[in-house]
Amino acid sequence: MKDKIRDLLLFKEPSEQKLFVLHETNEKDQQSGQDKEKKDKPRRRKNEDLLLHPRKDLKVAVKKVEKNDKEKKSDISCILAENLAFIKAKFHYPENSDLVIREFDIVVKDAVIAAFLIFYDGMSDTRTINMDILQPMMLLSNLDIKSDGNGLSKYITSHILPHNQLKEVNTHQEVVDMVNFGGCGIYIDGLDVAFAADVKNLPGRAVEKPNTELVIRGPQEGFNENIRSNTALIRKRLKDDDLVAENINIGKRSKTPCAMMYIKDIANDALVNEVRRRLKNIDVDHVLDSGELEQFIEDNPLLPTPQVIATERPDRVCGMLAEGRVAIIMQGSPFVLVVPVTNDDIFHAAEDQNLRFPYANLLRLIRIFAIIMSLLLPGLYVAITNFHHEMIPTDLLLAIMSAREKVPFPSVVEVFIMEISFELIREAGIRIPGPIGPTLGIIGALILGQAAVAANIVSPILIIVVAVTGIGSFAIPNFSAGFAFRILRFGFIILAALCGFLGTATGLVLLGFWMVSAKSFGVPFVVPVGPRTKGGFSEATIKEPIYKQENRPDFVNPKDQKKQAKKSRAWVRITNDSKNEKQEE
Amino acid sequence: MKIRQSITLAIIVILACTPLSGCYDSREIDELGFVIALGIDKGKTNFLRMTFQIAKPGNSGGSEGSSGGGGADKGFTQITIEAPAIHTAINMLNTINSKQINISHIKAIVFSKELAQEGLNHYLHAIIRNREFRPNMSIVVAKETAEAYLSSINPQLVLNPSKYYDLAFESYEYTAFFADVEFHDFYNAADSYDQSPVAILAGISGYASADDITNKLATHEEHGHQYPLGGDHYAGEVPQAGENKAEIMGLAVFDGDRMVGELDGTESKYYLLCTGDYLHSNWTIPDPQSEGHFILMDIQQSRPRECRVTIGESPMIYLKLNLEGDFLAIQSGLPYEGKLLEQFESYVESMIKKETLAFLNKLSRDFQSDICGFGRFAKGNFLTWKEWEDYQWKSKFKDAIFEVDVNFKARRSGLIIQSNPSVSSEGEAD
Repeated sequence: MKDKIRDLLLFKEPSEQKLFVLHETNEKDQQSGQDKEKKDKPRRRKNEDLLLHPRKDLKVAVKKVEKNDKEKKSDISCILAENLAFIKAKFHYPENSDLVIREFDIVVKDAVIAAFLIFYDGMSDTRTINMDILQPMMLLSNLDIKSDGNGLSKYITSHILPHNQLKEVNTHQEVVDMVNFGGCGIYIDGLDVAFAADVKNLPGRAVEKPNTELVIRGPQEGFNENIRSNTALIRKRLKDDDLVAENINIGKRSKTPCAMMYIKDIANDALVNEVRRRLKNIDVDHVLDSGELEQFIEDNPLLPTPQVIATERPDRVCGMLAEGRVAIIMQGSPFVLVVPVTNDDIFHAAEDQNLRFPYANLLRLIRIFAIIMSLLLPGLYVAITNFHHEMIPTDLLLAIMSAREKVPFPSVVEVFIMEISFELIREAGIRIPGPIGPTLGIIGALILGQAAVAANIVSPILIIVVAVTGIGSFAIPNFSAGFAFRILRFGFIILAALCGFLGTATGLVLLGFWMVSAKSFGVPFVVPVGPRTKGGFSEATIKEPIYKQENRPDFVNPKDQKKQAKKSRAWVRITNDSKNEKQEE
Repeated sequence: MKIRQSITLAIIVILACTPLSGCYDSREIDELGFVIALGIDKGKTNFLRMTFQIAKPGNSGGSEGSSGGGGADKGFTQITIEAPAIHTAINMLNTINSKQINISHIKAIVFSKELAQEGLNHYLHAIIRNREFRPNMSIVVAKETAEAYLSSINPQLVLNPSKYYDLAFESYEYTAFFADVEFHDFYNAADSYDQSPVAILAGISGYASADDITNKLATHEEHGHQYPLGGDHYAGEVPQAGENKAEIMGLAVFDGDRMVGELDGTESKYYLLCTGDYLHSNWTIPDPQSEGHFILMDIQQSRPRECRVTIGESPMIYLKLNLEGDFLAIQSGLPYEGKLLEQFESYVESMIKKETLAFLNKLSRDFQSDICGFGRFAKGNFLTWKEWEDYQWKSKFKDAIFEVDVNFKARRSGLIIQSNPSVSSEGEAD
């Protein structure tokens, strides 16, 4: 018991954690791509002189790996019956009713080679299996077996099976993984290899409008639950030769396919490595959604604000990839995660980049105002009405006094009643089945708004406060951040009720400490302000005209800092041609 | 463990907040009685008689439509207490009233003339020391008792009593019949070596009905006017009869903390011109060429007034007023906006000059009080503070010699360029 109390109160050495900080890269790395190529060659030569055993070791290592691959013993038997038994056991056949095992014979002149293929009904395109796999093999009559087993497998892949995504695999596990992901496994008698064909046709949504981040100006496509269509949506927009989509499977059992996308010669290597390291070192059985994944990879699980941007919009992801960030796409989730993130990204909306800068800045200022409102307004109301009466204009003071005269509760209780009922309406609004949705509006508006005032439970001014707060929290473009401010709001109400403005100020200072100490993938969370970076404020908080946005954000330390020329509107300049034209005139 | 530790820490911090700092001075708004005006008189049985006007709820909030009380309900309640000191009275009031008294929203503090003539020094200190008193409340001297003045206030046009004070004390911006004197201005001036304070002069109208109105109390003869022009009255003597008997007109002149005299509305206008606080107002100017007619002008400052002070045995004060005006009416129809413009301008210049000089001489000779703050310009002549203190500006001011320059331009003639005579069956008039 004593120990427990001591544990709770006293200082304890924090447990060792691997910290990641995204450091400034060399200046050479930051230079533009072309310069880099030029400079790379002499540097390599210089490095070679320095190395004692240049290159040889490297080559040996590579060779060893290749050898290992070849030598890796195949656990697939040459006897088809054994393979069939193994597969049946592995897939719990026949309890597993949607698994299809199709046994067939490949008829060759005089011999009959038995074979079978497996796939999950419903996940695969049966027409492709019929036309591109079964038909060529079964109707094949001139199979000329010239070589040994290995040769035969080569022959099959290169001549017989016309399917476009066919892989020769050495282990049962690979077949199983492919089948679980909608592919089809083919075993042929006499071969110690199997074939895995990607014939998946997973049921799912088509590309639809995004549900959460709606824009007026900009593309209207959203991600869906299919990883490949999501990567395709990104590639469709971001036609960059160096856009890489690395495949990483997450979950020991689920092996959910994830893709880590980045632009190789823009994104910082350290950042890419760190994301890869985190994704590969998640020790969990199943990961079902990027919402779960986000919680596994974020830096500070306790920080109220999100440290990863989850977006449904391909154009937003493309924009951030082009800045040198890393996107994580997950099979089964229409939300793509982008890291690293700073405080400012939270109140950027998808539309900002598409709008002219004065419009976008108006929206951004309104959003900052909305954040302040949703975070502080009820707290300020409580503080002013309880402690700082002299701050209110006398007319308003007397109005509040008259309104509160009939209310039996202290103003804190009043605020809590309204805030909690508002949260109730909001939660119920999400859960309520569509057809009875309007009922909620009537209940909310009439009963809470009108009747609560008529019954003197709350004062009418408070309804305004709560309404403005609610509207403010909806104006925050990031869904998770909205949550953060909703939770913190209650803290600020309590602090304001305890110590007025002193409490509010203390709360703000503590919140500031918390935010400043946080990092998102090695990047300080309040970066343009926290560690002051060049041009940070003008680019992250207030949007500059697009031709002035010459640099990628400094905090991601991209390999290529410049994203456009100093004078990107090159047509403004008078070229020699146009000069001549003028003279001719 | 780390999570649990931080949560426990947070809970402990919040719990510690409560006993250490929190809520002891937390008061709900509806638990407080807000005083909107405070009157201080000499007491009958004790040193002070204090009158509090406390805002009543309901009337001002009135969303329920229950506020149909009409003229009977003033929106505030008034309590008078005799006590030895200001804070004693507030304390006593707390026991009488159901709500705790809060003085942070006082709009006006009213002293009686009797008290003001004795000196306000120790009340000023008590008030400025308490942070609950607003330094920007208006300071008023009532010609009768403060209690009577506050009782006579019967706001007719506003529902909210505090608004009455807000708006009534703002009207100087377009009437110039008094000045906006806030408590901190008064306190600073009373304390300073270079300026004397003024306060707003208030009174109770003596006229029960319009038939009682006489010209006897007006000050027009003193100013050399043939008829009382707008501001030629002191508060309480304005020829009006209405439901609200409370009047504000003119200023109370102080020397240090003692009241030494009164200014009427016209003099208040010149006071504003001399301090540079003048904004704009309507002037009624007797027609120089047609007796019985007036020219009405809206006059404002075109540039800030210029002031220079030369130090000597008797200080020389030079003042230049830069004014411009728009015609509102020319009753005689003479072409002052046309042919006679320059003539008219020099007439107004000489008139303003004459009246300003008369006002300044009244200040220095009769009141011996530099309420216009010429001392601030005099200060520049001294190298050290000690020299300035030794010069004793306030005692030298009575010998001051004034020189006034007026630069007046009539700018706009309003919506008509010139006044044409009206045509009747007998032909053109005049």
